[in-house]
Amino acid sequence: MTAPLLQIRNLKKHFDLRLGAFGEKGARVHALDDFTVDIVEGETLSLVGESGCGKSTTGFAILNLHRPSGGSVIYKGTDLAGLDEDAMRPFRRDLQIVFQDPYSTLNPRMTIGEALSEPILFHALASKAELPARLAQLLADVGLSPRFASRYPHELSGGQRQRVAIARALACQPRFIVCDEAISALDVSVQAQILNLLLDLQEKYQLTYLFIAHDLAVVRHISDRVGVMYLGRLAELAPSASLFATPLHPYTRALLSAVPEANPRAPRDRQMLQGEVPSPLSPPSGCRFHSRCPLARETCRSQIPEMRAVAPGHLVACHAVTSATSTNWEASE
Amino acid sequence: MSDERPTSLWRDAWKRLRRNKLAVTGLFVVLALLLIALIGPWITPYDFLSQNLDARNMAPSWAHPFGTDDLGRDVLSRVIYGARTAFLVAICVTAIALAIGIVLGAIAGFYGGPFDRFMMWFTDMTMSVPQLLLVVVINASLKQPISSWMEQMYLQTLNPIWRNSAIVDFVLVFGTMALISWPPYARLVRAQVLSIRNRPYVTAARALGLTNRIILRRYVMPNAMGPLIVAVSAGLGTAMVLESAFSFLGVGVNPPTPSWGNMISDGLRVWTNYPHLLVAPAAVLAVVTVAFNFLGDGLNDALNPKGQK
Repeated sequence: MTAPLLQIRNLKKHFDLRLGAFGEKGARVHALDDFTVDIVEGETLSLVGESGCGKSTTGFAILNLHRPSGGSVIYKGTDLAGLDEDAMRPFRRDLQIVFQDPYSTLNPRMTIGEALSEPILFHALASKAELPARLAQLLADVGLSPRFASRYPHELSGGQRQRVAIARALACQPRFIVCDEAISALDVSVQAQILNLLLDLQEKYQLTYLFIAHDLAVVRHISDRVGVMYLGRLAELAPSASLFATPLHPYTRALLSAVPEANPRAPRDRQMLQGEVPSPLSPPSGCRFHSRCPLARETCRSQIPEMRAVAPGHLVACHAVTSATSTNWEASE
Repeated sequence: MSDERPTSLWRDAWKRLRRNKLAVTGLFVVLALLLIALIGPWITPYDFLSQNLDARNMAPSWAHPFGTDDLGRDVLSRVIYGARTAFLVAICVTAIALAIGIVLGAIAGFYGGPFDRFMMWFTDMTMSVPQLLLVVVINASLKQPISSWMEQMYLQTLNPIWRNSAIVDFVLVFGTMALISWPPYARLVRAQVLSIRNRPYVTAARALGLTNRIILRRYVMPNAMGPLIVAVSAGLGTAMVLESAFSFLGVGVNPPTPSWGNMISDGLRVWTNYPHLLVAPAAVLAVVTVAFNFLGDGLNDALNPKGQK
């Protein structure tokens, strides 16, 4: 296997808050802890989990849009984590992001053409003379007519705006794009179009995606690998097929069993979780899932489970799971 | 997709403003008065200083539409020159206050941190200074030394510019007013920048690698302008009223330079006998203030259309 595009090691992001009327009480939000993964060139790695589990924070921390609190992101032999804006600038071109909300993703005071020209001219990727052709090509890449260049965002539909947002990311000729819930806010019919567009572009430009989503059906369809996150930590990371066929982490099982089935009479093994997600202000000790886990044991309360490979490429962070076939169900008795 | 011209948000706002009759009236009055002030020296029927002691306190007539004052000076000419004073003060004060407010507010809001905390503390402190008291104190303490210094300069250079006491009045009034009227602009800009700087399109601009300067200038500030324009319109009206108020109290522009404030002050003493001396400047001041308010309201509705329709 070739060297990974991005080597992410123990990436952390904590937000420090001041609480109380006079900010006398410090508090720390553990948004992301010990996120370790290699992102391989050309793959689609998806991150799933409930809202607030740190999926988006992961994307922001990798791109250094939120300065990581710890850990490293190695890209082209350089650790991006903690680089200042000036040092980061040469890498920004290669690493792009597409956001969720199509209505705030574009500057309302700029035409589509201006928005797309900005990165091209700033990074000197085309001369002024080549610019119109480049704009037309970018718009064509995302399935829009060149006439859109003179339009303002508020004249476009949500799907069209999201296409422009993708074109803006492409304008830099990137290698890696974080799709931060990039289709979640769109109509279902438009979702499919944008999804297919992303897949076509991936093939055309050999793009690598970090696809942050909560729709498991979509994730299953497009991902090479899927990571499941719970409360700021990666619970399970596996090739898409193997994750959906043999989910091992108790949280992944509960999450997958919550996916609605088309056939209401199909026999189902629903695993209902009790209680609420604990606050990331004071995450549970040990395994963060132990407070809701059906398999929780004494060790789960005290020791943080490591990510362990239980099958080729299938990593689980759970004390109760020892191999891909035998989950330690008895131990919970 | 139709082929009609693309409309920017500014053009949309202008369209909405044009539909608002009160705002258009306000804009018309303000622009008309500004024009009159600009071309004042060429349209005033009389010199605003020339006295005619044979025609004192005359009621309005064809020769003197607003009558004459107690020195026989034409009131219409003085009202027109008062408009020059009012606009000069209002525009200069607002421009200076706006410049300070935009720079401090934008930096504080965009970069945050200790500078932001210091700025907000400094802003609160400035806002707590009573305006009138400060102007009175500055008049009482600075006017005398500056005037005598200018007199000395005149004696040394014999340059008549040093004899122009209006400069002292203007600089003192402007300076003081500008130095205490920037905090609302700074706060407004800071609040706008704070709400805009974390919008996805700003984050996207950072992800593109654009510099903070470009982001602030092309992404943050253009989107922060709406409320600022409304505030400026209101601020111009307020500054005019303030100038008149200070001049009325004798701490602003001093005679013989005409200001609506000192004309009202003079007129007030004789208003039972010669009401036109009070009514003319007061009515013009009232009309322009109302016009600015209508314009400000209209701009507010035009630039912040949310919640309408």
